[in-house]
Amino acid sequence: MSTLKPNKVLRKKVTRRRVLIGLGTTAGVLVVGVPLALNAGRPALVEYVVENGTGPQEAPFNPDLWFEVTASGITFYAPKMEMGQGIHTALAQIAAEELEVKPEQLTVKQADTARGYAGGTMFTFGSNSVNALYTPLREAAATLRELLREEAARQLGVPAKNLTAAGGQFFIAGRRDTLSYGKVVEGKQGEWTLPDKPARLKARKDFKRIGRAMPRVDFRDKVMGLSSYGYDARVDGMLYGAVARPPRYGATLAAATAGGASAQPGVSKVVIDLKANFAGVVADSRTRARNAVKKLDLRWEGGTNVNQAEIDAQVRAGAGVVVRRRGNVGAALKQGTRIEAEYSTPLVAHAHLEPLAALAQVAPGKNGKIEVWTATQYPQKVMDDIHAALGKDREILLHPTQLGGGFGRKAGQTAAVEATRLSAATGRPVHVGWTREEDLQQAFFRPPSHHILRGSVSSEGRILGVEQFTASGDIIWPASMPEFVKDTIGFDPGGVLGLFMPYDIPAYHVTNRREALPVPTGFWRGLGVFPNTFAVESFADELAHAAKMDPLDFRLNNLPDTEDGQRLRAVLEQAAKRAGWRTPPPAGRARGIACGLDVNTASAQVAEVSVENGQIRVHRMSVAVDPGMVINPQGAKMQAEGSVVMGLSSTLHEVLTVKDGMIESANFDTYPLLTLRETPQIDVDLLESGDTPYGMGEPIIGPVGAAVANAVFALTGKRLRDLPMRL
Amino acid sequence: MNVTVNVNGKPYTRDVEARTLLVHFLREDLLLTGTHVGCDTSQCGACTVHVNGEAVKSCTVLAVQADGMDVKTIEGMGTPGDLHPLQTGFWEKHGLQCGYCTPGMIMASAELLKHNANPSEEEIRYHLEGNYCRCTGYHNIVKAVQHAAEIMAQGGQSGQAADD
Ligand code: FES
Ligand code: FES
Repeated sequence: MSTLKPNKVLRKKVTRRRVLIGLGTTAGVLVVGVPLALNAGRPALVEYVVENGTGPQEAPFNPDLWFEVTASGITFYAPKMEMGQGIHTALAQIAAEELEVKPEQLTVKQADTARGYAGGTMFTFGSNSVNALYTPLREAAATLRELLREEAARQLGVPAKNLTAAGGQFFIAGRRDTLSYGKVVEGKQGEWTLPDKPARLKARKDFKRIGRAMPRVDFRDKVMGLSSYGYDARVDGMLYGAVARPPRYGATLAAATAGGASAQPGVSKVVIDLKANFAGVVADSRTRARNAVKKLDLRWEGGTNVNQAEIDAQVRAGAGVVVRRRGNVGAALKQGTRIEAEYSTPLVAHAHLEPLAALAQVAPGKNGKIEVWTATQYPQKVMDDIHAALGKDREILLHPTQLGGGFGRKAGQTAAVEATRLSAATGRPVHVGWTREEDLQQAFFRPPSHHILRGSVSSEGRILGVEQFTASGDIIWPASMPEFVKDTIGFDPGGVLGLFMPYDIPAYHVTNRREALPVPTGFWRGLGVFPNTFAVESFADELAHAAKMDPLDFRLNNLPDTEDGQRLRAVLEQAAKRAGWRTPPPAGRARGIACGLDVNTASAQVAEVSVENGQIRVHRMSVAVDPGMVINPQGAKMQAEGSVVMGLSSTLHEVLTVKDGMIESANFDTYPLLTLRETPQIDVDLLESGDTPYGMGEPIIGPVGAAVANAVFALTGKRLRDLPMRL
Repeated sequence: MNVTVNVNGKPYTRDVEARTLLVHFLREDLLLTGTHVGCDTSQCGACTVHVNGEAVKSCTVLAVQADGMDVKTIEGMGTPGDLHPLQTGFWEKHGLQCGYCTPGMIMASAELLKHNANPSEEEIRYHLEGNYCRCTGYHNIVKAVQHAAEIMAQGGQSGQAADD
């Protein structure tokens, strides 16, 4: 689309967090691009103004936020990936609020890497999309609105203050006619200039879109089967690729020949690159490619032969780096009632429903341009990996597709690199779609964790001291980072999430330790939040019972009188109220409570469970969440519900084991997920404690496991300290 | 080998290999990518379509087995102006998030509603047990199917979704 070409930079300056903007115009179209720069921990805005004529290469930054205004409406190019979390809708309603347009006047499209900054804003992770973009997006949209208002005033010959923006048009004081945004753009002659004054943002009391449910922008296509995922990417003349997989983690390809693969029907190319440990086949159908790849003659060498018992032995809490040291814990543990407990969580998979997949088209020549369509949370990582594989001088245009789930696994996209290699070797567009077996085994996983906690409580139910040791496989540290650096630091920052008990503990020592496992480990929804919260909130419950106190009262009794403490108190009380905590549960059932704070979002949950035929059955989950401020209550609730289901699945079912250097499960038959039938009633209450929206994608998964464990204890007297739970 | 499959009311003849699964036939030969693949092995339900009116996981059927049969996919369920009640139901009741499981959920639910116009929550849960969803809290899916049943009871095909 030629109208989207940004233009030459006229002037550029970093302003004090003030707006914007790249303006590019052709007749009847206004294009506004806003680059964000990281400044003081939050995106600040960098101003640059452009003139017609040249391409995006000259922009100092790729714009992060793109708007296109025409007579038919406004298009917003969303710089975040839609993986079901509803981010395109949330961003649209934030933009629509300040733009003063109706939702249906705003079309949301996924930004590709020509319209977005792949390295920064596009990385969709850490529940931070709304939090990071809330203010910049409002500022950008408000500035666009004011730009249009000033131009409308000029065209109408009235003062700008006489114009009221609503529903995508300007109402003129004392007149009956209106002027639509589209007409303003159509009637514009010459260059646009930014208003001198920064645009005023709307007051929260005037919000019409933020804080309310809004139709999901992605649902119509999704219910019709029209939405395109990485697995669905198609172009004319495309072929299908399949890639050989090592039998053990870390194995290298010592020798490879085409073997019988070339002679298989439909095979157009066998691609072998020993240095890259790569052997793949391109054929005219996926079935044929997958069949042919089995006929390659390969010799894999080395790698790990590790078995599960060795991994269990390796991930043991104990020595490590002290990440919190408060008070004299040795003395504190000599007082009051002292308890000690050990917990563990296993290796698990993401099990997003769409396996890894990508389509790549590589233009001929050493520096031929590469075009990729793929489901990824992190375009820059995919582009870096492709550059590393095929040469760093190549231009890459990456089209992010819809993601059929992400959960951290799609921070990379190996299938995209594979498709690119195969396309470069054949000169044809090639699609690679992994099988479930590949997706489950050739992955990285949530690392196993092990926790030892010792603590003491006073007879008044106050926590006197806690000594906590945690070990986890690596989460954030990339494989490429030198081991000595990781060892020097000694712990993995991802393992710290959810690690600290939120209570007022006079003596509190926490020691954390990382383990580099022979099995790939990495990002999984919330990083350390689920494993750590399971351990610390189970232990909080054990302390409550040691103090012979109601677990809710015990928590309220020990929360600090800080803002976080108050927010946790509020969600605990709300979840308890919803669950009927102070009333007896139905016969044969019991309740457990747990809470947590992650990415500034406070949440608490009450699980109501029974045991049927020796199986734990969860009947109800009552969830209260305070994400600071809610953009879309419907979307926020859905995120909470989904987190509960994923958390329950982890609590009750999911575990991977390793044998001879490979994950044993190859599919859902041995890696079952929670089903619809097992899913409890889930009630979600949203609380708002401020004017800043925090994250909703991950925090709620934290307390799920502990809430269930605590309920099972209340029911059976049996303390289940290892996940998944087995009675 | 040549097969002719009637898909969404139109006959398609293609030369396919005997071992080609129906799901790949639909997605690669006919470019009907609304039917998704989650496992290739009959365990997730993402690929559910109708074959001669019965819900079938299309990764369990060979294309050649569907020769001469009527196949209905999500693309044949409704049009933008005239959505199937289940499509409206899933949209309005937020029975999805990433949407990857949705076509399979809708096709599986359609079979249920064919045999049971007013299923209870328990019946819906039982019927959809073979369909995994990794994103939602699942119970909006139950509400979506119930909502669709209501629309159908009122004799309606409803075209527009409006959020609550
Ligand atoms: S792809 Fe057919 S059931 Fe999963
Ligand atoms: S909505 Fe993502 S798998 Fe169901």
